[in-house]
Amino acid sequence: MESGTNMFFQHLINGLSIGSIYALIAMGYNMVYGILELLNFAHGDVYAVGCFAALGLLTMGVHPALAILAGIIVGFVINLFVEKLAYRPVRYSGRVTPTITAVGIAYIMRNAILKIWGPETFAFDIGVRGSNLQFGGIIIGTLQIYILLIAVTCMVGITLYLKKTKTGQGIIAISQSIPTAALMGVPVNRTISIVYGIGGALGVIGGVLFCIYYDSIFIGIGFALGTIKAWMASIIGGVGSLKGAVMGAIMLGLMESMVSGYVSTLYKDAIVWLLLIAFVLIKPQGLFPAQVAEKI
Amino acid sequence: MNFLKDRKTLAIAAVLAACALPLVITDEYALRVLNVFFIYSVVALSINLIVGFCGQLDMGRAAFMGLGAYWSAILAVRLHFPFFVAFLTAGIFAGLVGAILGFLCRKSSFDYLTLITIGFNVVCQVVFLNWIPVTNGAMGIPKVPTPSLFGFAFDTNLRFYYLALGFLVVCYVLIERITKSKLGRAFEAIRDDSIAASYSGINIQNFKVLNFAIGSVFTGLAGALLVHYTQYASPFNYTLDESVYQLQMAILGGLGSLPGSLLGTLILVVAPEVSRSFYEYRLVFVGFMMVIMMIYWPNGLLGKAGVGERLIGIMRFRKKEPEEAGRWTK
Repeated sequence: MESGTNMFFQHLINGLSIGSIYALIAMGYNMVYGILELLNFAHGDVYAVGCFAALGLLTMGVHPALAILAGIIVGFVINLFVEKLAYRPVRYSGRVTPTITAVGIAYIMRNAILKIWGPETFAFDIGVRGSNLQFGGIIIGTLQIYILLIAVTCMVGITLYLKKTKTGQGIIAISQSIPTAALMGVPVNRTISIVYGIGGALGVIGGVLFCIYYDSIFIGIGFALGTIKAWMASIIGGVGSLKGAVMGAIMLGLMESMVSGYVSTLYKDAIVWLLLIAFVLIKPQGLFPAQVAEKI
Repeated sequence: MNFLKDRKTLAIAAVLAACALPLVITDEYALRVLNVFFIYSVVALSINLIVGFCGQLDMGRAAFMGLGAYWSAILAVRLHFPFFVAFLTAGIFAGLVGAILGFLCRKSSFDYLTLITIGFNVVCQVVFLNWIPVTNGAMGIPKVPTPSLFGFAFDTNLRFYYLALGFLVVCYVLIERITKSKLGRAFEAIRDDSIAASYSGINIQNFKVLNFAIGSVFTGLAGALLVHYTQYASPFNYTLDESVYQLQMAILGGLGSLPGSLLGTLILVVAPEVSRSFYEYRLVFVGFMMVIMMIYWPNGLLGKAGVGERLIGIMRFRKKEPEEAGRWTK
């Protein structure tokens, strides 16, 4: 019995730390989604480019902090370009068209990574090896604590940015209505670019943490572990709300770690997907839907 | 050149030409490529029916191909059913799964459908790979029997050519009839303006489910025929990448244009065979094509106001006012 409870808490801790990584990725994703309602298929692959850039700098012997910072900037800049080239021209032409351009960008990015780095899994070592703290029988890595702290800091930072700054208020205005925001003097194009940039940067932070957590980096961190997980988290938590994205991501992390702990590792993905599909059917608006004034 | 305007004459001429084609092309390899092209055309047509005519972005078509393929392969190999039964029930099976999935998505919006189809593709892949007693896991199901009807075996590329051609013609005619019928107009109404459609007495949810089910029947049949042709069901043939590649076949030709789907499939099936390096870079190419086409020609090669019509317009030296940029969806 004792070990059963310990096991449970161990899964809980693992779920929380993986969930907080998902939360960072999902936040960037959900900001974009909340504003344009565009399924940003490319989110994962764009931040994967940033992570691989950080990897490239690391192997060249650059200081880890600088490498990661450079990766974040790469993610930011790439998303600015992608927005300008692929999303802006089709912004007002329905739902299907921009989704397809996003898929296209995702494939371009992914194959660019494949061409440069190949499909192998690389070690991602920044030289931070946390020690393990033991509480009863539960092991908590200091790394897990750092990840949680970084995630929370970013969340607080973004929330403050949205609430307190002029640009942040502009972002919220645009997410409610682009024409109205434009009439109020919000620079629409620039603000949307900034949102994409921030989304990419947050994605890179999440992605790098992911790589540090698993000590490795491979092509799958983009789509399978990034875009899709962020999307799932947004749907669980509620589309377009930051709180929703964070809560959804943490729930997703818990769900995954519980399923692989208690049900089946082999079918983990399939079961999580089925749970998600069931969730969509029961509560399609998510747990914490964004509060948008209804038009009457 | 008046007869060129009559679509029926043109279509019959095209079919006759296709029937006579093996007289010119005797190369086995070329025949094989053509056979694959015929089967993938049906997949592209079914994607067009769902994405192009009903405006539901489905990214998991390969899963339905896989379902049809595995169903047919298992029935034929393990249970020794005749080809005819395995093939037809594969279509029904895929259609039923499509109906169930569509029914589950009934209440959810566009984005969820895209997500759920991706998820479904992932789930199917996991099941194909890991449900070893039934699907034989990563080894796949080898030695799927070649198709035979009434004692006649379609066991050479040439014989199969006519089977695949017949299959394509039947499916094409059926899908064309569907799109021209009341049903097809309802689909287009849903695509163009679902609110207006619902006020015209169209039950949007039910029609979406129907659309999804019909499309899945065709995809499942195509998957089943392909597996009987290649004689091997592999779980790695039904990935998400494959789905996206198939989606691009429909997009390239023009969403909402049935001949366009054939052209798009022809290009994307033949190009990797012609050039090995294209095969290596095909997904990058697809990526660029998706972005560029969506920005400049969202209606593809043969769609409304697409590249084809523009070329014809240039050839006729007619100064036409550029149409309202033909966005095929609101």
